Amino acid sequence: MEQNGRIDHSIISLEHVSKRFESAGRVKEVVNDVSLEVKENEFVVLFGPGQCGKTTMINLIAGLEPASGGTVTVDGKKVEGPGADRGVVYQTTALFPFCTVMGNVEFGPKSRGIDKKTRRERAQYFINLVGLEGFEKSYPNQLSGGMRQRVGIARAYCNDPKVMLMDEPFGHLDAQTRYMMEEELEKIWQKEKRTVVFVTNNIEEAIYLADRIILLTNCPTSIKEEYIVDLPRPRSYVDPEFLKLRKTILDNTEETL
Amino acid sequence: MKKHFVGEKAEKTVYAILAIATFFLAWAFITTFTAAGETTPGPVEVLKLLVDSFFEPIGRFTLYGHLYYSIRRVLVGYVVAAVLGIIVGIAMGTSRYAEAIIKPIFELIRPIPPIAWIPLVILWFGVGELPKYAIIFIGSFTNVTLNAYTGAQRVDPTLIGCAKMLGTSDRDIFLRVVLPSSLPQIFAGMQVALSTAWMAVLAAEMIGAQEGCGWIILRGSDTTNIPLVLVGMVVIGVVGLLLATIMRMAERRLCSWNRMDV
Ligand SMILES: Nc1ncnc2c1ncn2[C@@H]1O[C@H](COP(=O)(O)OP(=O)(O)OP(=O)(O)O)[C@@H](O)[C@H]1O
Ligand SMILES: [Mg+2]
Repeated sequence: MEQNGRIDHSIISLEHVSKRFESAGRVKEVVNDVSLEVKENEFVVLFGPGQCGKTTMINLIAGLEPASGGTVTVDGKKVEGPGADRGVVYQTTALFPFCTVMGNVEFGPKSRGIDKKTRRERAQYFINLVGLEGFEKSYPNQLSGGMRQRVGIARAYCNDPKVMLMDEPFGHLDAQTRYMMEEELEKIWQKEKRTVVFVTNNIEEAIYLADRIILLTNCPTSIKEEYIVDLPRPRSYVDPEFLKLRKTILDNTEETL
Repeated sequence: MKKHFVGEKAEKTVYAILAIATFFLAWAFITTFTAAGETTPGPVEVLKLLVDSFFEPIGRFTLYGHLYYSIRRVLVGYVVAAVLGIIVGIAMGTSRYAEAIIKPIFELIRPIPPIAWIPLVILWFGVGELPKYAIIFIGSFTNVTLNAYTGAQRVDPTLIGCAKMLGTSDRDIFLRVVLPSSLPQIFAGMQVALSTAWMAVLAAEMIGAQEGCGWIILRGSDTTNIPLVLVGMVVIGVVGLLLATIMRMAERRLCSWNRMDV
């Protein structure tokens, strides 16, 4: 895509995207004219108040919901429905409860007809990467919340998507596990670089992980501000620069309605 | 934990044996010491006749023959009902229109006992094996269908979205998401249905049968041979219990992911 004469290497592009839900004759405006470009291998965090429309934005990029206006493009193709080029890690775990850890992680490759040996090796690599070696045969109901999210991340990675969409993957974890998972995710991402769009309403998590933070307004949501985070990784939650940025962003954040 | 589990299982078995023993003792007691004994045979007499019937024919067959015919009838009717019921139930659960059209009909037909269908079934299928299969089918079809329907309806839509995002085809979504998600519910239905199918064996064998466990009861009733009636009842009870146990074991194997305690 060419814009204003400069070549744009963005892999995700939202152009004037809006979303309205119509139910029982009532129209609810949720996303209001959002334009956003995400570069290859960039870690973008959508940071916004509760119920502002974050999940809806993820669903629009995923193709799980059609946009009411504007276009979403991923890797040069207009998004018109769900597809394997976008991997999703969900707010709730959304693992297949009847599949083992291995079954979940290899679900995507199996769907796409990749032969058993190749997909098993690949799945094993990602199971090990998220630190679940030895749990291949466990079912999701035998795992802790943190472990389930690890499976969710491995499952998305294993399908080798062009971009990863993560919707508050650590939102339901206790504070301790959450810190640990943030560190883990950062390590995984350093090792297996992907374009990530990560949703959160936790400011520390946002600054810890992001290359760039997109601050969203309340519903109907739009982009309020953007912050580039160029602190060295891995970051420290008590670094003065970290805390300064935290204050800047929070001062600009709207209260949840 | 494993040891604890084995212990618990052994304990349950002991209780089960005690309960059955108590039942037989009470039966023996009542028939020996009360007026009921004048009309009703005691367990010893019935068990003796039961054992004999493995060697000496009742009507055309020994008990083996009767078991064979009854189990065959029930399995044929039941398997057809289960396969059709799962398909119809899942179709109802995944399509709004199928649900709106089929569901009220099922709720209407369900309370009608299989025995009520006998005249119609004879009219349609005569008096061979076919009408017997049909009665069993009627006795089990609605239970499978309505449970499969509930199961399919409860499939988490997030999981379907999730499978789509992983590049799964519609056919695979059905086979690898909808079907396994509904499996516990389908099994619950199949379990109930197997019991009701087996219960319908008496109704089925009212249609011109010359053999079968239900027929034994009918024969005993016709010839006022009360011990024979009780033999039929005991056999139906025991076989029903065995069938239920087999189903439970199959469910354990196939739906192990659904149990929290493993
Ligand atoms: N399918 C739908 N139909 C109607 N309204 C919807 C639908 N999906 C979402 N909404 C509405 O859109 C608004 C934003 O929802 P969304 O789930 O996108 O917010 P969120 O920022 O992800 O919330 P949370 O912080 O709870 O995760 C909510 O008010 C919600 O009621
Ligand atoms: Mg959300």
